[in-house]
Amino acid sequence: MEEVEEEVKRIVEQVKELHDSSTSFVSSSSQEELSLRNRASVVDSSIRRLHSTLASDKHLDPKLFEKLEEDLQRAKCMLADGDTSSFLPSKPQGIDSEEGCFTVLKLFEHVLESDPLIDEVGFIHPSQFNLLDEEAGSSSVYQNELQPNNETSRKFWNQDHKLGISTDILVQLCKDAKHVFLLAFEEYKRHGNACNESQIENFSCSPGTPEIEVMRHSQAVLLLSSDFGTAWNARKLILSKKDQLSAFTEELRLSGLILSNSPKSESTWSHRRWIIKMISQRFSTPQVIITKESELVESIGERSKMNYRAWYHRCWLVSYMAIEQVIQELNKSKRWAGLHVADSSCFHYRRRLMLKILESLYVKGGNAYDKSEARKIWKEELDWNKELVERYVGREALWLHRRFLSLNWIIYFACNDSDVSPEPGESIIMNEEIAIFIDNEIHLLESSMTVLDTKFEDFQAQALHAGVYMLWLTKKMPELWRMVEEKLGTEKVKCVLSTIAQERPSLLHHLVNV
Amino acid sequence: MADKLVADKHLRYILNLMAEKKKESFESVVMDHLRMNGAYWGLTTLALLDKLGSVSEDEVVSWVMTCQHESGGFAGNTGHDPHVLYTLSAVQILALFDKLNILDVEKVSNYIAGLQNEDGSFSGDIWGEVDTRFSYIAICCLSILKCLDKINVKKAVDYIVSCKNLDGGFGCSPGAESHAGQIFCCVGALAITGNLHRVDKDLLGWWLCERQDYESGGLNGRPEKLPDVCYSWWVLSSLIMIDRVHWIEKAKLVKFILDSQDMDNGGISDRPSYTVDIFHTYFGVAGLSLLEYPGVKTIDPAYALPVHVINRILFTK
Repeated sequence: MEEVEEEVKRIVEQVKELHDSSTSFVSSSSQEELSLRNRASVVDSSIRRLHSTLASDKHLDPKLFEKLEEDLQRAKCMLADGDTSSFLPSKPQGIDSEEGCFTVLKLFEHVLESDPLIDEVGFIHPSQFNLLDEEAGSSSVYQNELQPNNETSRKFWNQDHKLGISTDILVQLCKDAKHVFLLAFEEYKRHGNACNESQIENFSCSPGTPEIEVMRHSQAVLLLSSDFGTAWNARKLILSKKDQLSAFTEELRLSGLILSNSPKSESTWSHRRWIIKMISQRFSTPQVIITKESELVESIGERSKMNYRAWYHRCWLVSYMAIEQVIQELNKSKRWAGLHVADSSCFHYRRRLMLKILESLYVKGGNAYDKSEARKIWKEELDWNKELVERYVGREALWLHRRFLSLNWIIYFACNDSDVSPEPGESIIMNEEIAIFIDNEIHLLESSMTVLDTKFEDFQAQALHAGVYMLWLTKKMPELWRMVEEKLGTEKVKCVLSTIAQERPSLLHHLVNV
Repeated sequence: MADKLVADKHLRYILNLMAEKKKESFESVVMDHLRMNGAYWGLTTLALLDKLGSVSEDEVVSWVMTCQHESGGFAGNTGHDPHVLYTLSAVQILALFDKLNILDVEKVSNYIAGLQNEDGSFSGDIWGEVDTRFSYIAICCLSILKCLDKINVKKAVDYIVSCKNLDGGFGCSPGAESHAGQIFCCVGALAITGNLHRVDKDLLGWWLCERQDYESGGLNGRPEKLPDVCYSWWVLSSLIMIDRVHWIEKAKLVKFILDSQDMDNGGISDRPSYTVDIFHTYFGVAGLSLLEYPGVKTIDPAYALPVHVINRILFTK
C-alpha cells in the first residue's frame, strides 16, 4: 500500500517540479523573446533613423555615404532574413520594405542634394572616369581611404558642378527611379501632403513628406528620362500650390540642367513654358526672364543645331515682348545668325521678330510703330542678306530668308502707303519702286548664275536657289517673269530653266500658268 | 543596295519587340512612357503587311484598357498620366482590331472635347500646352468615334488656318516654323473636316516638293536638314491630300526607303546604314503603302490607318 502511495506522492512532486520548470522556462524564454523583440525593434528603427540622417546630411562625402549605406543595407538584410526575422515588428507596405536595395538611387539623390549648383549632366562610359579625373586635376580625397580606385564601383563623377552618370548603371537606375517615383506620386495623390505620425513627433517635416519625396524622386527620374511627362506633371501639381517666386525660378534651373543633356526634350521645353506662364500670371512678366530664356536657346542652339523645339520656344517668347525688346532681339541675335548661315531655324526666328514689327505697324490707338523706322530695319536686313548670299555660296537658308524679305518689302513698303494692313491674296500692282527693286533682284540672279567652277556643288546650288527664288516671286507677281526675260535675254533664261529642270522639274510647270 | 521589301524580316523584328518583357536596353526603359504610340506603330505596320493576326488581340486590347485614366483619356502606359497623344493611339489600336465598341465613347470624347480652348486650339492635356498636332489628334479621334459635333469645328479650323506661314506651310502655333510633321497634322485636320480649300495647294506643294534630296531621293522635314525615312510619310501623305504627289520623284523615294532596311534583322532606320527602330519601320512601310508598293495594303493618308479599317468605321452605324 505504502509503495503506491509513495509513487503517487513522487509523481505529484515530479509534476509540480516539471510544472515549475516549465513555467520558469516559459517565463524566462518569453522574457528572452520579449528582450529579443525589443532589441530587434530598437535596431530596426535605428537603421531607419540612420537612413534618414544619412539622406539629410548634405555635407557627407559621397563615397563615405555609399559605404555607410551599404553597411546599413547589409545589416538590414541580415535582420530581415533568417532567425531574427521572427522577432521583427510587422511593418505596413511601403518604400522601405521593398525588396530592391535602392542604394544607387539613394546615392544619386544624395549627390544631387549635396551639390545644388550642378549645371551640367551627362551619361558617360565608366572607362572615362579616369580621364575626367585627370582633366579636372584631382580625384576625391576619400577615394584611397575608403575603396580602391576600382572602375566597376564608380557610378557617379561629380566635380566643378558637373555630374557624370556611368552608363553601366543607367538601366537599373532609371527603372528604380521610375518605380519609386510612381509609388511616391500615388501616395501623394491619395493622402495629400499629410505628414506621417513619426514625423509629427519630430515637430518638423523632415525629408520624407510625400511632397518632398515626389519632388526628390521626380527630379532623379527626369534627369535620366526627360520626356517622362507624368513626372513633370507631378511637379506642376505641387508647384501650382506654391506662392513663392523662388520655387518657380528653381524649376527653371532644374529644367535647364536637364536640357544640358537632353536639348531636344519636348516635355522639358513645354514645362518651361508652363513655368513662365505661371510666373507671368502670379507675379508679373519680368523682361529679364524672357531675355534669359532667349539667351538660353541661343546657347543650346550652339550645340544642338536647328533644334526645332528650342527655336520654337524662342519664337513663343516673342508674344511676351514689347516692340522695343523685339528690335533689341533682332540686333542682338544678328551676330550669331551671321555665324550660322545654314541654320534655317535661326533665320525663321528673325522672320518671327520681323513679322511682329509688321503687325505693330497697324496697331490702333496711336501706338503704331513708326513705318519709316520699320522700313530702315527691313532694308538693312535685305542688304545684309545680300552680303551673306554672295559670301556663303549656295546656302538654301539664306535664299529662303530672302523670299520672305523681298515679298514683304514689295507688299508693305514698296507699294502700300496706307494705314491699313494689306489683305492676304491682294494682287500686287507694279509701280516704279517695285520695278527698281525687281531690277536689282534680277541683277542678283544674273550674278548667281555665273557658275565659276562647275566642279563645286556650292556654285551649282547657288544657281539653283537663285533661279527658284525668282520663280517663287513670280507666283505672286506673274508679270515679273516677263521682266526677267527682257533683262536677261533668251540664252540666260534658258540656262536658268535648265538648272531648275535638273533638280526641281515639277516647279517649272508654274510657268505654264504665267 | 536593296531591291525589295523584306516583309518577313520586319514582321519578326516587330513581334520580337512586342514580346520583349524584360526591357533591358536603356532606349526601351526610357521609351516606356510612350508605349501606346509604340504599340500603334508596330500594330499598324503588321496590319499593312496583313499580319495583324500574329499578335494576341485579347492581350493587346486588355493592356490598352489598363491605360485609360478616370478622366477618359489614355496614358502612354499603365499608371501614367493621360494625354491626347496616347488617346489617339489607343483609339487607333482598337480600330485596327475592330474593338471600338468596348469604349465608353461618351467618356473619351468628353475628355478630348474638354481640351479645346477659346481660340479654337487644343491643349494636349490639363496642363495647357497648345500645338496644331493636338488639333489634328482631336479631329481625327472624334471623327473615328463619330462625334465631331462635340467640338467647335469652325473655330478649330480657323485656328489651324491662322498657323499658315508665308511659305505655304504650317507650324505648331501661329508664327512657328513650317515643319513637315506639323503640315501633315494641319492638312490632315483640314481634310477630315472638309476644309482643304483653305490651303494654298500650289504654294504648299512647292514647299513640300522642295523636301526631296536630289541625290538620295529621300525627303527631309524642313530646309537644310538631312533626309529621313519618317518624312516619307508626313510629306507624302500631305502631298496626296492636296493632290500634288506627282511633284516628287516617287521611284527615287522608294529606293531610299528600301535602302534604309536592315536586310538581316529586319526593321527600318531613318536613313541607309543607321540603326533601326519601330518608329521608322512604321513610317517606312506606311510611305511604301502611299507609293503603292506591291504587297503592302493601302493606308489612308489622313487617318493613318489601313483603308479597310477606315471603311469599316465610316460605313457602319
